[in-house]
Amino acid sequence: MSAVIETNKLCKIYEGARRGQDVNALNDLTIAVQEKEIFGYLGPNGSGKTTTIKMLLGLIFPSSGTMKIMGSEDIGLPQIKRKIGYLPEGAYYPDFLKGEEILRFYGQLYGLRGKDLERRIDETLEIVGMTRARKRLLRGYSKGMRQRIGLAQALMSDPQVLILDEPTTGLDPVARKEMRDLLVRLRSEGKSLMISSHELLEVELISDRVGILYEGVLQTMGTVNELLTDRDLSVDVTGVTENSVNSLAEKGIVVEDRIDGRARLRVAQTLSLYDAMEILKAHNLAVVSVAPRRETLEELFVRIVGDAKAKKEGKK
Amino acid sequence: MGGVWSIAVYTFREGIRKKTLIGFLILSIMVIFGSQFMTAFLTTSSDTTGQSELDVKLIKDICVTAISIFGMLITIFVSASVVPNEVENKVVYTVLSKPVRRFQYLLGKFLGVQIIIIVNLALMGGLFFFALYLKEQVAPTLLLWSILLTYFQFLIVSAFTFAISCTSTSSVLPTIGGLFIYITGNLTEYLKDVYDRSGQTESTIDWIIGQSAYRLWQVLPNLQYFNLKDQILYLSVNDHPRDAMIPQLILYGFVYGVAGYLMSYWIFRRKEL
Ligand SMILES: Nc1ncnc2c1ncn2[C@@H]1O[C@H](COP(=O)(O)OP(=O)(O)OP(=O)(O)O)[C@@H](O)[C@H]1O
Ligand SMILES: [Mg+2]
Repeated sequence: MSAVIETNKLCKIYEGARRGQDVNALNDLTIAVQEKEIFGYLGPNGSGKTTTIKMLLGLIFPSSGTMKIMGSEDIGLPQIKRKIGYLPEGAYYPDFLKGEEILRFYGQLYGLRGKDLERRIDETLEIVGMTRARKRLLRGYSKGMRQRIGLAQALMSDPQVLILDEPTTGLDPVARKEMRDLLVRLRSEGKSLMISSHELLEVELISDRVGILYEGVLQTMGTVNELLTDRDLSVDVTGVTENSVNSLAEKGIVVEDRIDGRARLRVAQTLSLYDAMEILKAHNLAVVSVAPRRETLEELFVRIVGDAKAKKEGKK
Repeated sequence: MGGVWSIAVYTFREGIRKKTLIGFLILSIMVIFGSQFMTAFLTTSSDTTGQSELDVKLIKDICVTAISIFGMLITIFVSASVVPNEVENKVVYTVLSKPVRRFQYLLGKFLGVQIIIIVNLALMGGLFFFALYLKEQVAPTLLLWSILLTYFQFLIVSAFTFAISCTSTSSVLPTIGGLFIYITGNLTEYLKDVYDRSGQTESTIDWIIGQSAYRLWQVLPNLQYFNLKDQILYLSVNDHPRDAMIPQLILYGFVYGVAGYLMSYWIFRRKEL
């Protein structure tokens, strides 16, 4: 495996009008996106995701640090740009044009002409499922259709690397599922994807690796399997009463889900299985099943961002 | 380089849809038409040759003024808004993420603006040309020379307005800047007067004013050079322009145009988008 995108100690300071108004948007960011993977780039609002992506595309410039795309440090080279597809966050496309005309324009920027261009337009429209709406003006497109056209323009050159800034924001559940399937399909075709997102459930479903950013600092990075370890236990029991719910909580066992007497309990990893069983026995609960409980990406995210926040406030 | 041309064509296609531009164009066409009717209305009472000559002069005056004012407004408006608009709606992000260098993007935009200006000028000038031809029954070739020179005047204003627009994220400041360039460009001649009249006292302020006026006179474009209005009014419509060094003026406009473009590139080159 080799990295298609690498950053090394990347920093970005947005200079304010006056001293002291500078925004330190990114600090010593070192990340790598590997070949043929989906890299989920996560972080709360204003953590620096878009800033990173814009630097990778040469729209803004690093204050210090270096970047490499497909091994090249000169990220502005046309032959490098040809291999990257980019979907900006909340972009607009000239809406007096038809869907296919937009793609014709972007295709021409890749130097495509004539039959090659038309063939590629047909192909990308098919990939993003917009063939039927190709002759309609963008003015009449829904948000989901615009997002698809946005993805189509990113795919025009059949790039090896896709950088997508919040590709599913604003889409309905069905459109979201379709977008997800599409992204997975692109990966299976051998493309590498870097996706920034706030949809943690989604990212967990499709990403191979994730990086979590908070206030411009990378908090953690790794494969989804590494990061989401089996931390706690999930225990299904019967015979739960109102009283036992409260006294279990005192001992570090949380009731996650309860229907009448049946309940799913979460046993913290600090408690050994034997101790937990003792407690359950003392409460007269019958154990139905015990299983390892994998942390969700959302829980990891909240924990890591919460820790980072607490650490920062502690410093102050 | 094919990308540059595509950007120019799309800039043109988008630009001619702007309501402000269409508004100015319609106004100018109404003025050109209106002037014909107005004089036709005036001449019915006394139909002497002297009178009708005066009418033609009036029409010429109104139309030349309308073309230069509305043309200039369109020029400034378009040059000031094309780049800031795309920065604001982020189209520039997708374009620059393609194999398009910044100078190519800017060149495409600049050429697109020039096509818009030329098409507008051709529409207004063509209409006036036709109206004058109907009145005089000879082809008003002098008008064509004037329109050609007017374009190069617009090119200068356009290029510098465009450069200012590259510093800005809205079109308000560059529009004001463009108007300022147009006005000062037409007053350049007075700077020479200021210089000629300076140095009559011993005071340093006098000297400084004189010197700065002289330097400004040297570097600022003189837009009055491109003005053939007097000739259009007083010569007959198919005369050749007098005392105007047309090739030199074209070169003059071109050089300032290129300077303006280079300035815009220098600003845009490292701009954070
Ligand atoms: N042009 C700019 N000038 C000054 N500060 C900026 C600029 N762009 C972004 N910032 C600041 O940099 C930080 C990172 O912003 P960025 O847009 O990268 O966040 P993000 O992670 O993409 O957030 P979101 O999830 O809301 O899209 C924020 O504090 C933001 O206010
Ligand atoms: Mg963002």
